Amino acid sequence: MSERNDNGLYDICITVNDREIRGKIKAETSLLDFLRENNFTEVKRGCDKGDCGACTVIKDGRAILSCITLALQADGSRVYTVKSLGSWDKMHPLQQAFVDYEALQCGFCTPGMLMSAKALLDSNPKPTREEIREAISGNLCRCTGYQKIVDAIEAVAKGEYR
Amino acid sequence: MGKFTFFRPTALAELLDFKAREGGKARILDGGSNVLVYINEGSIAGGALVDVKSLEAIKGIEIRDGLLEIGAGELIADIMNSDLIRKKMPFLREVLQKFANPLVRNMATLAGNIADSSPIGDTIPPLLVLEAEVVAASAREQRVIPLEEFFTAPGKNVLKDDEVILKVRFPLPEKGRGGHIKLGLRRGTSCSVASVAVWLVADKNKVRDIRIALGGVAPTPIRARKTESPFKGQSLDWDKITELSETVMEEVRPITDVRGSAEYRKQVSAGLLAKAVRQALGMEE
Repeated sequence: MSERNDNGLYDICITVNDREIRGKIKAETSLLDFLRENNFTEVKRGCDKGDCGACTVIKDGRAILSCITLALQADGSRVYTVKSLGSWDKMHPLQQAFVDYEALQCGFCTPGMLMSAKALLDSNPKPTREEIREAISGNLCRCTGYQKIVDAIEAVAKGEYR
Repeated sequence: MGKFTFFRPTALAELLDFKAREGGKARILDGGSNVLVYINEGSIAGGALVDVKSLEAIKGIEIRDGLLEIGAGELIADIMNSDLIRKKMPFLREVLQKFANPLVRNMATLAGNIADSSPIGDTIPPLLVLEAEVVAASAREQRVIPLEEFFTAPGKNVLKDDEVILKVRFPLPEKGRGGHIKLGLRRGTSCSVASVAVWLVADKNKVRDIRIALGGVAPTPIRARKTESPFKGQSLDWDKITELSETVMEEVRPITDVRGSAEYRKQVSAGLLAKAVRQALGMEE
């Protein structure tokens, strides 16, 4: 359990994308700030108050909003960002589907969308279209691209990308 | 030096002792999905942030002496998906499926939504019609507070500075069906303009008992008892429901805000109530 240092900071250790990241932080530091300050800038800051879903990461198997989670609440946890999915050379099926279905325009919501989609397929590999819409209902896309995003996730769920 | 401190108790006694010492300066992160928002907007200026995630004493969903008890530390997502809730209280599952969005449901708790005491806390009207109680504890005592007596003003409740919520519980109804309508600008995420819950016990369409509660139309979520009475004993058809539901306009005390005007909220309360009653009767979705 984290103890407060003389300088008022807390030691923290979070396993991000299977790598242990240690730091000294203030009690009120958000998980989003902790991640971005440690160069996980693929996690996006949108509204910073839990409304938009751009900062979605998977913590201990669940998709959550990192902007309204204290970093210390995630102390000792496993956190995965969109970069855990795949790389340019070897994309995750969801990433490839998003490219093929043109499921993004500006791309700002995409890291969060992908993590919500990943969490959905991990717990429910064969979701209905309605279940897909529900799963991404906390992720806002302001380029109005929901149809293609749903299409892309559905394509992966139907096995087009094995 | 940060103005906040962080504390993660490992036993309930530790939490209660800490609350006894720090009182209102100790802010429980029961899910905590609203606390960082309050810190960022400056409405919490400092104090201790208490993470109760690892407290086994506030976990568990079980039936005890006919009461369904939900531990304060249970996440909305876990309550919704528990086998017991699916089997014994599908109404609560349906209601929770409409709460915020899957991301928030993975973080928030029922007790947190209650402690937050927002007039539009979406889990509250359904719990009011189930006649839920809050079990609270301090280092001094444990007490049971009927949910109907819990809220005092927007964001305010009867919890003392040294008290924490242990669990929320309600009697498992033997008969009846629920209805719940939530009106928002968007299905996921958005704050409700207003919401209505009903619990209806009827023979065919003749009302034996009805309980009605609303959110977003008064300084606190309310149980609308004056609206309930004229329903009792009535045989309901589509038009009768519309007529009886209008009584609720006299009982609500809404305000105008960015999501809707007071007049709109008043009128829409009647419409939502009629829909919720019809839903409970299986007359509409």
